[in-house]
Amino acid sequence: MADTARRAIHVLVVDDSSLVRLYYRAALDKAGFHVEQAINGIEAMEKVLSEPFDLVILDVNMPRMDGLTFIRSLRAGRGEVATVPALMISTEAGSQDVADARAAGANMYLIKPVAEDELVRHVGLLTGAIP
Amino acid sequence: MAGRTGRQSPAYDITPDEVLRFCDFLYRRTGMSFSEDKRYYIDRRLRDRIDATGSLSFQAYFSLLRADADHEIEQLINSFTVNETYFFREDHQLKCLTAGLLDSIVSRKPPGGTVRIWSIPCASGEEPYSIAIWLLENWPQVDSYNIEIVGSDIDTRALKAAAEGIYRDRALMRLSRDIISRYFIPISDDRYQIDEGLRNSIEFTRANLIDARDMATYRDFDLIFCRNVLIYFDDASRRQTAENLCDCLRPGGYICLGHSESMSRISPLFSVSRFPDAIVYQKPEADHG
Amino acid sequence: MPALAAALRREGVPRVREAIMTALIRVGDAASIEAILPYLRSQDAALRTAAVEALCALRESLAPFMPQLLSDGDSDVRLLATELTRNMDAAQATTLLCDLIEREPHPNVCGAAIDVLAEVGTPEALPSLERCAARFSASPFLPFAISAAIARISGVKG
Repeated sequence: MADTARRAIHVLVVDDSSLVRLYYRAALDKAGFHVEQAINGIEAMEKVLSEPFDLVILDVNMPRMDGLTFIRSLRAGRGEVATVPALMISTEAGSQDVADARAAGANMYLIKPVAEDELVRHVGLLTGAIP
Repeated sequence: MAGRTGRQSPAYDITPDEVLRFCDFLYRRTGMSFSEDKRYYIDRRLRDRIDATGSLSFQAYFSLLRADADHEIEQLINSFTVNETYFFREDHQLKCLTAGLLDSIVSRKPPGGTVRIWSIPCASGEEPYSIAIWLLENWPQVDSYNIEIVGSDIDTRALKAAAEGIYRDRALMRLSRDIISRYFIPISDDRYQIDEGLRNSIEFTRANLIDARDMATYRDFDLIFCRNVLIYFDDASRRQTAENLCDCLRPGGYICLGHSESMSRISPLFSVSRFPDAIVYQKPEADHG
Repeated sequence: MPALAAALRREGVPRVREAIMTALIRVGDAASIEAILPYLRSQDAALRTAAVEALCALRESLAPFMPQLLSDGDSDVRLLATELTRNMDAAQATTLLCDLIEREPHPNVCGAAIDVLAEVGTPEALPSLERCAARFSASPFLPFAISAAIARISGVKG
């Protein structure tokens, strides 16, 4: 097992902005992560239930299912998916927003806009790619 | 496709960034997405639609698409999907039925209880008959419950054809000879009719998905197959239809969509449920905030 | 209408919340819009995004409200308001969003506007986009987003 080629770390990027998804994807691709995308919490749920992810990066405001509702339903689920780390990156900068995200089950909260190297560093920390 | 090879190359160019713009739109609107290696496939279909609409550039076509002039979104989706109906189409969903979904439904029912399944739109009947045949062939508990299958469509001519149950051999291509001999009667060289028992076991009715009053006469379904129709609707119609379907389901009931459709573009009313062969959507057991 | 709006305020059940929004969309007049608008300021993310979706469906009736929404004192409201232009006529949306990005101080509001422009913008948006890129040249995300938007609108890399 230890000798087999290391599987790339799979990251699911969830944001309704196509340019934000493109920006995260470009940064994370370059750093060697495997990136998939979703446009809102419902599509994110379809993806995490269909294949294993090491991290979900997500926005708060998204149509049809917002990020907080997604994390709450993820954490309420059964099996391994319930514990997938979640990194929220939002424009909402109030202390109440951060508290809401923590209460929902987010592991970390960053405020937009996020620089590429900062994104890669946090993703590395949360996935164990950077020990 | 014949005669295409001699076609002159068009006078317009589509740049990679325009393809990205197009793909972002298609993804946001429908949920369909294509990987980099499908570039050629997208490019060809896009050019076909630009030519078919008489647009003289990508930009002209894209404006027309955004405005949904002459139902261009429907035309475009059609060019990316295969619109064929035959028996046992999308069999992963049929497998899903007998690999957990029905067990989950009947776990809440008394022995001999009623399981209500709805196929809407059912077109000329291939789907509801497929469901019935699949259950008879593959679900050991099929005789332990009272299974009601209803097929509905807005088109009364399609419903008449469904009730008659006559199909060309092409529609039967996925069925084994055994199954054909059990459920069909040959009526000519290339035509078969569903046997009378099976025809009488399915109720065919007229219903309009987006009409709340029409839909109010349908209640207490455990499972709804609503495939390859919501993808064509605009946001307002999707919204109304999702609410209608939600009201037609029992609490905890399920919806199956078509394989290129996702509830993420339609409605927040259902939760995502993963079964071994398919993703299905569930109405919450009880309303809560 | 006031009754529906008040019901929305109290409503925690998604099915009922959706039904009220759908009813307001069906009426679709200025009063329905005014009933939904306050929810853009809701602390509840689910209610906020439901309001954006409902308003998006009312594109024609929404136009008179847009200039005011896009210059609201609250940057969170301006940000959500950019999304409301996505279903509008391309020329109208381009004018509204270009006016915004010419003066908007908040990079995230510009980012949201540029995301919509990348889909709906006409070539008239290009000068405003270039000026916006110059204004936010030190921001981490905006220069990237603007160059992608310019490439999509013009068909040529920005």
